[in-house]
Amino acid sequence: MLLSFIAYLSIFLFVGISVYKAYKFAKMPLHGRMELYPVPKEKGFEHGGSFYEEVSWWSKPHEVSHFREIMEMMKEILFIKKLFENQRPFWWISYALHLGIYLLMAWTMLLVVGATTELNGIFVAANSPSIWGLLIYYLTFVTGICGLVLGTLGAGLLFLRRMFDSTLKKYTTPQEYFNLLLLFAALFSGIITWGSDLSFSTARDVTANLITFTNFDATGLQIINIILVGIMLTYIPISKMSHYVGKYFTFHTVLWDNSPNVKGSAVEQKVKKATSYKPTTSWSAPHIKGPSAPK
Amino acid sequence: MINQKDLLPKDMGRSDEQLIKLEVDQLMPLLAPYDKPGMEPAMTDPKPAWKEKFCTSLDGYVGIDTLIRPKSKEEEDEFVRKFLSGLEKIFSDANNGVLEPLLLTFEYCAKCNTCSDACHIYTATGNNELYRPIYRSEVLRKIMKKYFTKSGKLLGNFVGADIDVNWETIARLGELAYRCNLCRRCAQTCPLGLDNSLLTKEIRKIFSQEMGIAPTPLHTKGSMLQIKTGSSTGLSKPAFLDTLEFLEEDTEERFGIKFKFPVDKKGADILVLHNAGEFIAWPENPVAFALLFEEAGLNWTLSSEIMGYDSVNYGLWYDDFQAKKIALMQMKVAKDFGVNRLVVAECGHAHKASMVVGDRMAYGDAKIPVESCLPLLWDMVKNKRLKLDPSKNNFPVTLHDPCNVVRQLGIVEPQRNVLKAICPQFREMTPHGVDNYCCGGGSGFAIMNSQNFPQFRDSVASRVKFNQILGAFKDTIEDPSIPKYVCAPCSNCKGAMRSIFEHYDATEKFNLQYGGLVELMVNALVSMKKPYLEFLDKE
Ligand code: SF4
Ligand code: SF4
Repeated sequence: MLLSFIAYLSIFLFVGISVYKAYKFAKMPLHGRMELYPVPKEKGFEHGGSFYEEVSWWSKPHEVSHFREIMEMMKEILFIKKLFENQRPFWWISYALHLGIYLLMAWTMLLVVGATTELNGIFVAANSPSIWGLLIYYLTFVTGICGLVLGTLGAGLLFLRRMFDSTLKKYTTPQEYFNLLLLFAALFSGIITWGSDLSFSTARDVTANLITFTNFDATGLQIINIILVGIMLTYIPISKMSHYVGKYFTFHTVLWDNSPNVKGSAVEQKVKKATSYKPTTSWSAPHIKGPSAPK
Repeated sequence: MINQKDLLPKDMGRSDEQLIKLEVDQLMPLLAPYDKPGMEPAMTDPKPAWKEKFCTSLDGYVGIDTLIRPKSKEEEDEFVRKFLSGLEKIFSDANNGVLEPLLLTFEYCAKCNTCSDACHIYTATGNNELYRPIYRSEVLRKIMKKYFTKSGKLLGNFVGADIDVNWETIARLGELAYRCNLCRRCAQTCPLGLDNSLLTKEIRKIFSQEMGIAPTPLHTKGSMLQIKTGSSTGLSKPAFLDTLEFLEEDTEERFGIKFKFPVDKKGADILVLHNAGEFIAWPENPVAFALLFEEAGLNWTLSSEIMGYDSVNYGLWYDDFQAKKIALMQMKVAKDFGVNRLVVAECGHAHKASMVVGDRMAYGDAKIPVESCLPLLWDMVKNKRLKLDPSKNNFPVTLHDPCNVVRQLGIVEPQRNVLKAICPQFREMTPHGVDNYCCGGGSGFAIMNSQNFPQFRDSVASRVKFNQILGAFKDTIEDPSIPKYVCAPCSNCKGAMRSIFEHYDATEKFNLQYGGLVELMVNALVSMKKPYLEFLDKE
């Protein structure tokens, strides 16, 4: 029961805190434009161009492609494209960790699906008569093994690289080592806990117990793994590892937001609101505050 | 002094007389013909008097000539106190206009170090630790954590709040904020979309907006002078009108062309805004604009109103308050004028100020459409509104892309389309377009000439650009009989070019020339009886 509670609570906190952070960023006051080209939605994306390349740009429709924007976003999310292009050696290990995490998220969902499938009487195993059962079995098998190996390897190598790279070392705080160690510990405990049964049927059974709040005799390793993953899930969104939230905003509301403030636009409404706001804090330099400050 | 390889962000508080020293042989090597010994002036030490007066304890250079050493312990404490109060304010509603981007960059840096190699200053110094883009950011984070975050107060070193904060730390950080061109090239490569230049600018802002400390050329002789007289050059209305008259006469004398600058013309479609520095340093540029616009039959005018004849806005580089004040004053003049649109001439930061930064400062009827001169110039060429003869420009030409115009506005093709049409020997530098490198004059460097700062600018900040230029002309560089033209359609970039070419004696030795885009266009006009570009005029 307690383990079920930990599992549900940590997932709830992970999602809840992440959403709360996103909400806080979304609610922040309008900031000045600071787009940086190339901006994917622009027609001239290939050469980094914008609507400003047109004469009398305001009198022409602003042609944008949200499809291209989504494609670029997917390349970032799925492949970490910028790191791939600009720092390949680092990309290999960072990508291993990220891909590992994606796969483990898929694995967890597949365990839940598998557990529910079994609760409904369909056998999930290599010799299952049901195609669904077979499909879930093999998908769980592949995502589980790849996810655990890649994730653990990635977290471990990132930690080592930070320890031994003379540059990174200078900028890494003890907390940042701790972050990686926590990930590594949670993932590595996953390998020793679930790795002994690569059919993952034990994992599926435990999942079934967890999601149905059923008491079961958890092994010491299982308890450790569930608690570590719980801590990790709660800690990620409060730490800067929540960059999955930040990254959305850096691109969408900062680097890729070039909507001009033209008459009748949505931006105009926001500008109206922002300009009417009277700040409660003010600057103290003489040219701003002093008697000789320009009026 | 510390070996730069061992330098840590927390070393900013050390008591060393100078943290590091740059030497020519450690800098990134220059390409031929500047790869031979003795081709480059040595780096000098700061004068003893400067050490006593200013903050030379970073790298020996003085960027902020108003940052004066304290005379007493009280002054020292007050300095630190003011900085901390400003630091707190950048995260308050006094700074709403950048709060979100600032918090994102402040919180999320993964220290992956992807951004370093993108920085021309870091590269130019031979990867000197002090100039790594995240070095500066990390110092700021450490101070912030130490004083203003719960985690920093409770956990101290564990979260990186491990820096000594004293006068030296803060003053060095202020100086270090003037070792970055705010070019945002590093931000293009960050996998998390973070922008170190943002933190650099916040440091500059704390110094200016809270402590009242900013380089004289940017503040007292820059934005303050502009607010007072209408132009950062100090050019008053009568002096401006006199200058125009002189230029009309001079053009007639030299080229036999009679023309008049339209000034305050009622019913004009376009108001052209120049960087007023052009009228003084490169008058051939506004004259060329006039000749082209007249030949193309545009209905345009200049304004002689205060704030109406100078497009600059130095506030962009160090002070949001000044930036806003100037942008709104300029907007009002243009609005009151009654033209349909404002065209920004060849000045990169003025482009950004009026089109991007100023875009959300006002709304509705207070605004007037603003566009860049570059698409308009290309339109004139494309639609054959000018009779041009490209053979008149038959010498090697390359294009320097002003960061503000390409990376920050996305205007990339029009200027190169013009060059491809009128310069048979046009060649690109590598890299170019949105991936270009800053000229080294960005964010105020081009006009910061106090103490030894020009040496930092010319030897370090402009170094990568100079190499790009040498690379683009490698086929003809050693032949001084062939002029080689760097087209830099931006006043600040031209300022930087002028300085580097002087620093390396490049015009004298190798016939390297620079100028804007319109000068090349006028030079190619069929109607011109003699070359418009002075270096072609052999008579
Ligand atoms: S690339 Fe971005 S995340 Fe990486 S060190 Fe630079 S600023 Fe930080
Ligand atoms: S903004 Fe430009 S000069 Fe400043 S750190 Fe980034 S790349 Fe370097």
